[in-house]
Amino acid sequence: MKFERNFLTGFLLLAALLGVFIQSDYLLHILTLVLIYAILASSLNLIVGYVGEFPLGHVAFFGLGAYTVAILGAPEVGMPITLTIPLAAFVAAAFGWLIGRITLRLNGPFFVIVTLAFAEVLRLLATNWVSLTNGPMGIAGIGHPAVLDMAPWLQGKRGFVAMGIVLAALTFFIAYRLVHSSAGRAAVTLRENNYVAQSVGIDPFRYSMFVFIVAAFLAGLAGAYYATYISFVGPEVFGFPFTATMIIIVLLGGKGTLSGPVVGAIAVTLLEEYLREFKELRLSLFGIIVMAVVLFAPDGVMGYVRHRFQSLFRRTSHA
Amino acid sequence: MKKTAMAAALLAGFVSMAAQAADTIKIGLIQPLTGSVAYNGEADVNGSKIAVKERNAKGGVLGKQIELVIEDGECQPAKTVSAAEKLIQKDKVPVLSGAFCSSATIAAMSVAQKYKVPLLSGVSSKSDLTERGNEWFFRSAETDGLLARAFAKILVEQLDLKKIAYIGVNDDWGRGGISEFSSQIEALGGESVQKLYFDHGTTDFYTMLTRVRASKPDGVFVAAETQDGSILVKQMKEIGLQSKIFGVGSWATADFANLAGEAAEGIHAAVPYAHTIDRPENKRFVEEYKKAYGELPGKYSAAGYNALNILMDAIERAGEADPDKIRKALAETDYHGPNGSFKFNAKRQAYGFDAVLVRLTKGQPEIVAKATVTADE
Amino acid sequence: MFDLFLQFVVNGLVNGTFYALSALGLTLIFGLMRLVNFAHGEFYMMGGILGWVATDRLSMDFFTGLVAVVAVMALFGWLLDRYLIVRVRDKGPEPGILLTIGLAIFLTNTALMLVGTAPHKVAAPVSSGPILLGPVIITEVRVFAIAVSVAAIVGARLLIQKTKLGRAMRATFQDPTAASLVGINTASIYASTFALGTALAATSGMLLGSIYVAQASIGGLISLKAFVVVILGGMGNFAGAILGGLILGVAESLWGGYVQTGTVDMVGFALVILILFFRPYGLFSVRAERA
Repeated sequence: MKFERNFLTGFLLLAALLGVFIQSDYLLHILTLVLIYAILASSLNLIVGYVGEFPLGHVAFFGLGAYTVAILGAPEVGMPITLTIPLAAFVAAAFGWLIGRITLRLNGPFFVIVTLAFAEVLRLLATNWVSLTNGPMGIAGIGHPAVLDMAPWLQGKRGFVAMGIVLAALTFFIAYRLVHSSAGRAAVTLRENNYVAQSVGIDPFRYSMFVFIVAAFLAGLAGAYYATYISFVGPEVFGFPFTATMIIIVLLGGKGTLSGPVVGAIAVTLLEEYLREFKELRLSLFGIIVMAVVLFAPDGVMGYVRHRFQSLFRRTSHA
Repeated sequence: MKKTAMAAALLAGFVSMAAQAADTIKIGLIQPLTGSVAYNGEADVNGSKIAVKERNAKGGVLGKQIELVIEDGECQPAKTVSAAEKLIQKDKVPVLSGAFCSSATIAAMSVAQKYKVPLLSGVSSKSDLTERGNEWFFRSAETDGLLARAFAKILVEQLDLKKIAYIGVNDDWGRGGISEFSSQIEALGGESVQKLYFDHGTTDFYTMLTRVRASKPDGVFVAAETQDGSILVKQMKEIGLQSKIFGVGSWATADFANLAGEAAEGIHAAVPYAHTIDRPENKRFVEEYKKAYGELPGKYSAAGYNALNILMDAIERAGEADPDKIRKALAETDYHGPNGSFKFNAKRQAYGFDAVLVRLTKGQPEIVAKATVTADE
Repeated sequence: MFDLFLQFVVNGLVNGTFYALSALGLTLIFGLMRLVNFAHGEFYMMGGILGWVATDRLSMDFFTGLVAVVAVMALFGWLLDRYLIVRVRDKGPEPGILLTIGLAIFLTNTALMLVGTAPHKVAAPVSSGPILLGPVIITEVRVFAIAVSVAAIVGARLLIQKTKLGRAMRATFQDPTAASLVGINTASIYASTFALGTALAATSGMLLGSIYVAQASIGGLISLKAFVVVILGGMGNFAGAILGGLILGVAESLWGGYVQTGTVDMVGFALVILILFFRPYGLFSVRAERA
């Protein structure tokens, strides 16, 4: 418990330090990407690690968050980000409720495929509902957050890094509290043994829904941050590349741990940038990495750490 | 196992970077190397490489060899921004060429403006790109609007079009093309009976074509690239569509004719380049391209070739690899390429080059009309 | 009006047959091995690309090429199962899904590296000349493809129902422990099943590559459509896959014909969502979920 809390706090501090001292805009850009992925992967990890199902369509909530900010933050409407970002997260959470109601009653491959179906439907809607989303042309020119123009040191990318740190801190806090709450423990019990859990009165559906909605909220947050940073949103936010990256991050970092997604986000973002030199091989290597992790290190990096350093993770409930 | 692999990758990366530390001038190139239009992005890269090879063989620019640093923008804004950031910040390129899809180019445009590095697009055809007042963006391609204006009249007259159906790939280029051509043709009295879109990667067009056939059009306008277009055109013939087919896309290529077979016969295409254009620069280009890649060049290859040549000329004129000087030098461009001469107008849109209307005859693009892209919009 | 409707229905049935054939391998693998094979679309793609290599590069005729491709892909499937899938077999559904996703990413991009992004053609043994069935148009090569598809489906059915191997497969499907107790080499059966599924996917890839094109990047879309079909028909349900395929084909065709062509792909997903809402195990699933 303590180890994870310290790890996450340490990461945020490190990110803040880097944000202050790094001069290169390119490196700040990488840092921002790491933060976006850390938030997104943390949200996916909640479902994978604590509900025990794999929502291949999780990117739907990311995309919903991104589009909400895009539609409301575009020049014509021009809502400020203090409004659009929370709204985006809530929209994503609302859809989480809707989609969860339908999908959480299913299990295994059905769950996987139907969440994927939802993500695809949203992608097709985004591509074809031109009057709302401008179709494949996407929405450009999302407003620069006014709050980032307040202080000179928030100019440019540094401001976005600061924003990311705030959002990441919020995410880690929520995730941490969820996991260590009774709701979180109930979810873990369900994951470990569904029938025993039910026999002591835990309603699987209620707890799964709760975790699902929170995860959707956080994914929407990641999407909103992404949209504000890139200032351009198109149907690709519902696309498979984000899904693939998310999967790799959660797997590599270690599912079911809070620090796993952060480790994974750092590793994968750096890998993606370094593998630029091997453009053609890049994606092939990703495929091999996924397979290797599944076969040889199914608990990822943090899982290995936890295995080796048991003492760090000793606590009353194990997740 | 993972660690060694990563270490090896990093080492190889460093070694390659060290090897490139020789005295060169770098030009950044962002194209889609993966994704649904990778096929076309590659063609652009190939054309660009030929231009660089040619120039380096003649001694390079300002006495130094040109080095092309290529990044994959995947035709996606976010990835293109990453690629542009890396090229400018890490590789310190003084000038960029890219990014193929108009939406990706728009994203790259803001990066170019922020870092004050000139960006030249040889492909992106969305009309409003040069209307945004971005002083660092130049376009050496035709716009959808321009092609439509140039050829709508000829098409309506030559093909005797009264009722037209429009089919396009469902992305910004397809939609833009249909929107421009349909408004031009409607202004000339043509009636639009259908506007249908399909997704990248669709293989079965029967349902869509059944609808088109049912509305009995005289002509069918198609905005599709080689991959989708070749299947589409084949199926048009299979389903017995009698209407005359015309469109935009990389159709004047051997690949297209090869895949579509006899269905390609008689199709009209409005393209800014065809390998049958009769200019000495073109003959030379076609020969070199064929020698290097074993196939004839299409419009994207030419686009890449022209873009790189224009950039290299500008660097030469600027006297040094300084972004601001290159930008000023670009404005003075007077380049003669395989498809005509290129100059930039006040909005940094190129003009003066050919746009041709070709008819595919026995797999070869036969030029039936020519127009020169004019200076004003 | 009716002519138009008829044409749409025929288009749909043609596509549906192709969907059915391509989904058959997936439903078999799921039914027998409880493995959701996300690399299914990539096997289809490999069938198409290998088909192009066989007919275009090696100048084989279509049927010889098909036999060669089937043999190669069946072997590939067998090896994949014996050395890769076996490691995740008893670990629950999740590792299998993730492993095959990784495999899919690897196969697609390696194929792109090897053959490039250009579309390729598989030479068909018949022309694409039109045939008129009353007011409806269809082409010779499509009729040919349907014939081959039906033959493949029937062949697979016979294999499962009438041969010793098929009986062993069905026994393992019902109860793996009991099957091994009576002397069935279950490891071998699993590998054979995966090989069969792979070969079926590759067959449809090559077949459809002769009608359309074979391209290295289509795996993802094919997988998605196959999943839709399998859910419609019930996982593991042979006849259901066929019916599911036809339903999807006709539904897409009618939607595209009367509503909008751009959103045709949504039809399958909408159907999946609706059906799973009302029947969580698929339309025709006969298998109950075991605890």
